[in-house]
Amino acid sequence: MSALELREVCVPGRLAPVTLALGPGQMAGLVGPNGSGKSTLLQAACGLLPHTGEVRWLGQPLARLPVNERGRMTAWVPQEAHFEFGFSVRAVVAQGRYAHGDDGRGVEEALARFDLTSLADRPVNHLSGGERHRVLLARALATGAAIHLWDEPLAALDPRHALEVLMLGRTLTKAGSTLIFSLHDLRVAYCLDVVVVLHAGRLRAVGPPEEVLTPDLLLEVFGVQARHEPGLALFLP
Amino acid sequence: MKPLLPARIALPLLLLALGGLTFVSLAVGDVRLGPGQIVDGLLGRDEFAATILWQIRLPRLCVALLVGSALAASGLVMQAYFRNSLASPDLLGVSSGGAAGAVIAIGAGWAATSFMLVPVTAVGGALCATGAVIVLARQGAGTERLLLAGIALNALLGAVTSYVLSQATLTYERNAQILFWLLGGLEDRTWEHVIMATPILLGAALLWPLGRPMDLLSLGWREAQSLGVDVVHLRRRLLSLATLMTALATAVAGTVGFVGLVVPHILRLLVGPEHRRLVPLALVGGATFVLACDLAGRAAGGLRLGIVTALVGGPFFLWLLRRQT
Repeated sequence: MSALELREVCVPGRLAPVTLALGPGQMAGLVGPNGSGKSTLLQAACGLLPHTGEVRWLGQPLARLPVNERGRMTAWVPQEAHFEFGFSVRAVVAQGRYAHGDDGRGVEEALARFDLTSLADRPVNHLSGGERHRVLLARALATGAAIHLWDEPLAALDPRHALEVLMLGRTLTKAGSTLIFSLHDLRVAYCLDVVVVLHAGRLRAVGPPEEVLTPDLLLEVFGVQARHEPGLALFLP
Repeated sequence: MKPLLPARIALPLLLLALGGLTFVSLAVGDVRLGPGQIVDGLLGRDEFAATILWQIRLPRLCVALLVGSALAASGLVMQAYFRNSLASPDLLGVSSGGAAGAVIAIGAGWAATSFMLVPVTAVGGALCATGAVIVLARQGAGTERLLLAGIALNALLGAVTSYVLSQATLTYERNAQILFWLLGGLEDRTWEHVIMATPILLGAALLWPLGRPMDLLSLGWREAQSLGVDVVHLRRRLLSLATLMTALATAVAGTVGFVGLVVPHILRLLVGPEHRRLVPLALVGGATFVLACDLAGRAAGGLRLGIVTALVGGPFFLWLLRRQT
């Protein structure tokens, strides 16, 4: 059974019909140029955008799931981290447990995992962009969800925290969760189980990175010349 | 910024302040009443004191409490809804919508047929204004956009009010009533006004449990929905409650500005931004603030409530704008 399944999912004017299935334990990267529909696909897969077609989570049609149940099954991390009000970092991470009746489980662990324990009582709107993103990722971790959809989680992070996020993704998927996240660094895509390539609002390719990220596809989708080098998965001259 | 007060002592402190102000409100006026006279008057043992309390001061006090709670809670709701700490019913034009509705009812003479028609038309006017704000905010609810939309709506609804006022057929009495709405005040409030405003209590009871989901909504609707909040239902409920409470407050006290801006801000500074704490505090804090402003106005020789809240709220708003930039 697929953990996350999209059947002919289409967002009119933004995303042509996409059919895609990710199994439990898979870590997938969503790549494509700016404006290719990555955020749209993630939001549609999370039930946050009106769409046609069908989305299934753990075999169940999304449309039939109550909102509260959806909050327990998936964790979505937005691209932008804007906070109008100065909630404490701990309070924001604890919001990940809302659908679980605010039981507070796993909040301290999630804070520690993202180096946020010392910032836990600070207002979140006083943090840097990268720190705010780590707060959102910690909240996603605290949800304990089986399906994770993260929108450019690495974009605002320094190299160490970006690496830690990737390692966390691997820990989650090894424990049986499914993770799909959008990214721009194609070298990172080589560490993943599956790469989903979008181009101009269309699904261009899906599969293991070494099969999908061919020089021809990179030239067509990104307009860059690339070649494989021994010892380097991908070399962008 | 760290909260200045532990949340658990903020509510008892506010209730204490409210209790003190309530006593002062009942005691002072053209005739000063001592504590014993107040008790005797309330129990009907002193006829003179009973007349003053039951006919004049208690209705005024009840209206002040209900109006304050309604406006502060509405401001809090709108700030969470639009994710903008400068949103409030008067700045967005919702209060003006309510006032325009009430003024039309008075101008057309409907108020004379049934006193309940005023709140009904006020709710209608406020709903129209809220609808316009939602449509305008659909493209983005940034500070500038919301405030400009508020300016436009206030001007438009002000024109409606001016049109009604300029009708030569209006009697002196109706014109006086309309002027009352424009200035905002608690003078000559009767039990009829208290009854008119009573649904505010129901609104407060319905709003009370929504604090926690409001926290999540204030992060953005997508985030709230992804975390398990039924956003469509919540937003509809919040906006209906805020509109209804604002309209009822406006119907009984006219346009009283800045309460929905000042009170939530002060409370956020005191106890932090979590709405589970802020909702009850806003209900009590709004009542306390309006009562304090009313007393200040009375002490200053009869300044109208709307003037006092504007004198406090105007500079506060400018300070907030400066702080935001």
